[in-house]
Amino acid sequence: MKVFSNSVTYNYSWEEVSIANWQKYGPWNDKSAHVIAVDTLNRTVDPETGILRTERLITCQQSAPKWLANLLGSTDTSQVFETSYVNPAEKTVTMVSHNLTMNHLINVQETVVYKPINGKQTQFTQDARITALCGGWQRIKNNIEDALVTRFRENAVKGKEGFECVLAMSRRAFAEEREREQSGQLMMA
Amino acid sequence: MSASLAPECNEVKEPEYLRGNGNTDDNECATMFKDYQKCLQVALQERKIDKLLNEAREDSKEHDSTHLKRK
Repeated sequence: MKVFSNSVTYNYSWEEVSIANWQKYGPWNDKSAHVIAVDTLNRTVDPETGILRTERLITCQQSAPKWLANLLGSTDTSQVFETSYVNPAEKTVTMVSHNLTMNHLINVQETVVYKPINGKQTQFTQDARITALCGGWQRIKNNIEDALVTRFRENAVKGKEGFECVLAMSRRAFAEEREREQSGQLMMA
Repeated sequence: MSASLAPECNEVKEPEYLRGNGNTDDNECATMFKDYQKCLQVALQERKIDKLLNEAREDSKEHDSTHLKRK
């Protein structure tokens, strides 16, 4: 098993980050082109705790290195099942995901948490556990795991850049909306 | 708004309430989400993803007990 860990500080409040998170793979993000579809399967709010639980299916399209594709017979399209929990009382967003595709050969389990650092900053932590399940030489399993860790590292850089754009656009969109509301109120007065 | 994996579901995936035009007091949003889910269900069956999803859901139950924290 290999572990990929990553943490990023965003200079946006947790409230802004937790809302913009739903737009992460939308048109405001041109850096994460490998995420080609996001489908919300289920969404409920726990009346007792106020926790928003969401199930999503994330579809990615990214070509694997040739030797890996030959080995695993992989297609370029892969799917990830994500369950997320937005806890408004504790101010945490926790997203747990694992691979649906090729899950007899590899097991990828990722946990992402967004937590406030202070009123203006939010901490993102990412932890991915990658295990090659296929039989055979340990060296080959190591190579597969290493290739996936490399892919995670590359996508993490793009993910941060893309999300920064989404956060900036989201802040602007909310500011414009507030302005519109205020000018609307002035007209009424 | 991100695209759906099923192009035929994209139209029902574009809900008005996300554009701020919906009224949270009525069931409009819930109805739209149900229509989209219905469309998606067929698409997932066609692509044989539904079974994989059910297995994944079973596996993710432990996360519910950790993160839903019912008192």
